[in-house]
Amino acid sequence: MFRTCDITGFKVDLQSQKLIRYNAVFAVISLLLAVTAALLLVFTRYQPMHLLNAEWYYRLVTFHGLNALIFWIIFFEVAGLYFGSTVILNTRFCAPKWGWVAFLLMVAGLVMSNIIILMGKADVMLTSYTPLKGHPLYYLGIILFAVGALLAVVLFFGNLMIARREKTYGDSLPLVAYGLMTAAIIAVITLASGAIIYIPTFLWSLGLIENVDPAMYKLIWWGLGHSSQQINVAAMVSIWYMVSFLAVGGTSINEKVSRSAFVLYILFICLASAHHLLTDPGVSSAWKVWNTSYAMYLAVLASMIHAFAVPSSFESAQRRWGYNKGLFQWLSKAPWGNPAFSAIILAVIGFGFIGGTTGVIFGMEQTNIIVHNTIAIPGHFKGTVVIGTTLTFMGITYYLIPLIFRRKIVGFKWAQWQPWLFFIGIALLSISMIVLGQLGVPRRHWDSTFSGGPFTYNFNPAVDFFWVLMMIGGVIAFIATLIWILIVVFSVSFGAKVNGPNDMQLTISPLAPEAKKHKGFEAPGTLVLTFIFLLVFLALFFLNWKWLAATWNVN
Amino acid sequence: MENEQQPNEKVPFYRMIMDDFMLLLFLGVTIYAIFYLLWGVMELSNLPAIPEEIKDSILK
Repeated sequence: MFRTCDITGFKVDLQSQKLIRYNAVFAVISLLLAVTAALLLVFTRYQPMHLLNAEWYYRLVTFHGLNALIFWIIFFEVAGLYFGSTVILNTRFCAPKWGWVAFLLMVAGLVMSNIIILMGKADVMLTSYTPLKGHPLYYLGIILFAVGALLAVVLFFGNLMIARREKTYGDSLPLVAYGLMTAAIIAVITLASGAIIYIPTFLWSLGLIENVDPAMYKLIWWGLGHSSQQINVAAMVSIWYMVSFLAVGGTSINEKVSRSAFVLYILFICLASAHHLLTDPGVSSAWKVWNTSYAMYLAVLASMIHAFAVPSSFESAQRRWGYNKGLFQWLSKAPWGNPAFSAIILAVIGFGFIGGTTGVIFGMEQTNIIVHNTIAIPGHFKGTVVIGTTLTFMGITYYLIPLIFRRKIVGFKWAQWQPWLFFIGIALLSISMIVLGQLGVPRRHWDSTFSGGPFTYNFNPAVDFFWVLMMIGGVIAFIATLIWILIVVFSVSFGAKVNGPNDMQLTISPLAPEAKKHKGFEAPGTLVLTFIFLLVFLALFFLNWKWLAATWNVN
Repeated sequence: MENEQQPNEKVPFYRMIMDDFMLLLFLGVTIYAIFYLLWGVMELSNLPAIPEEIKDSILK
């Protein structure tokens, strides 16, 4: 059963639409759980407040990590995979019943793991490094969730095969679907690693296996833990291209290069998991350097290609619409009132300047040592997963509400400034955490001063300022997330029905007109912005090497 | 449609590879399995076992 969208003209499989809706709803629930825990954790890490006791601190670190990094992200990505493989490709869902099986497995996994954590039976944090042992149902919950997610990925490939057989698209997959295919391939790698390590750990927790080697566990677990965040990167970049198309009619100025960048992700990005073992003595420097530098830089190159290709697609389209004056008229005349557009631009900026720069610097064996296991590391991934992926997912939701849920956005004015508020909050939070880490504050630590102990530690007094800044950032980001959740819930539950394109609050732009022949650069403004980015990156790069050199006094 | 394939048009090799998602899946999994997983597991497996007396003194 299909309906034809009266706004986009897409043929929408109603089964697929229902699955997209339900997965998206559970993504929002997971995010609510994650940010509630996050707020309590922020008020605990700041020691003058110390809101939670140590037991509940580690319990909620586990709860927050699982809900934020696994459940929220993967539920949303499954919704995205179904959207990309059926709606965008104008095809049917290959096996809706299996789609529901996948969904129910994922929900069962979420419920089981969360209940066990809150009961205090698995205070093992997201990484659950052995020999820390959680309750068997905690591991079983994660396994159920992973099996459901893997099934969803298989269904995505099934949809692609139907679309290819029925020739619902041209010679190659559209770029957005191509990016989602990249995400799905990375998901296979991720979930396979998860299965390899969680199944023996589950058996170990039941007492059926005597021992799980901690070094081996860590190696394989990070194949899940880090690669799962690379699914986000591929899905996020795909959405960036999609919003460029929807908001201004933009397409990549060189689609072949953009596709090649996605292929580089498939081939090399998962090797970056080795970052987490940079101080482990069990693996050699050759293994570390190959995986985190030489091979991984090819994935970094891919990100830099996208970082140029996405803004340049906006710029090129805007110039073709006539916003051609100077270097930045395309930017000043951009549709800033469209919250999906502003969310995506802010996500690109935050992901590049905060998450990207720190990712490369912290990923090098040498400079990693300055911040390894400090709070700078979660600060880095607030700059990737939160300001990048989460803000992007929030942004595209403003399109999903009218197109998939068929409702108008309630509180549209709030929606217009929500991405800005979220960006400011997370940027403050992330940068503060990075600076705190540079000053030596450890991560996942209830009492980093060891107060009352025989060996107390006094940090540089500047840390107090950054703790406060981090709390302010955390509160702003929490409020912005709550606003987004309320907008989504009210819109989906009580929003007026959308009837045709005139009811759309967000623009859906036609394809930008053909470019006139001209000499010079296609996107000079983006080129200038790229050079600014590279300069900032170089400054941070050398600053970190300078700090590294100052760590040891060599005579 | 202008991008429709003509029956006799030869598809470039790079595009054949880039459009074959099963091949890309195979390559992605293989590279990861060889360079990260197997290489790492081999290195960890070849670590010498901790001498019993040191182990006992640590666990004491």
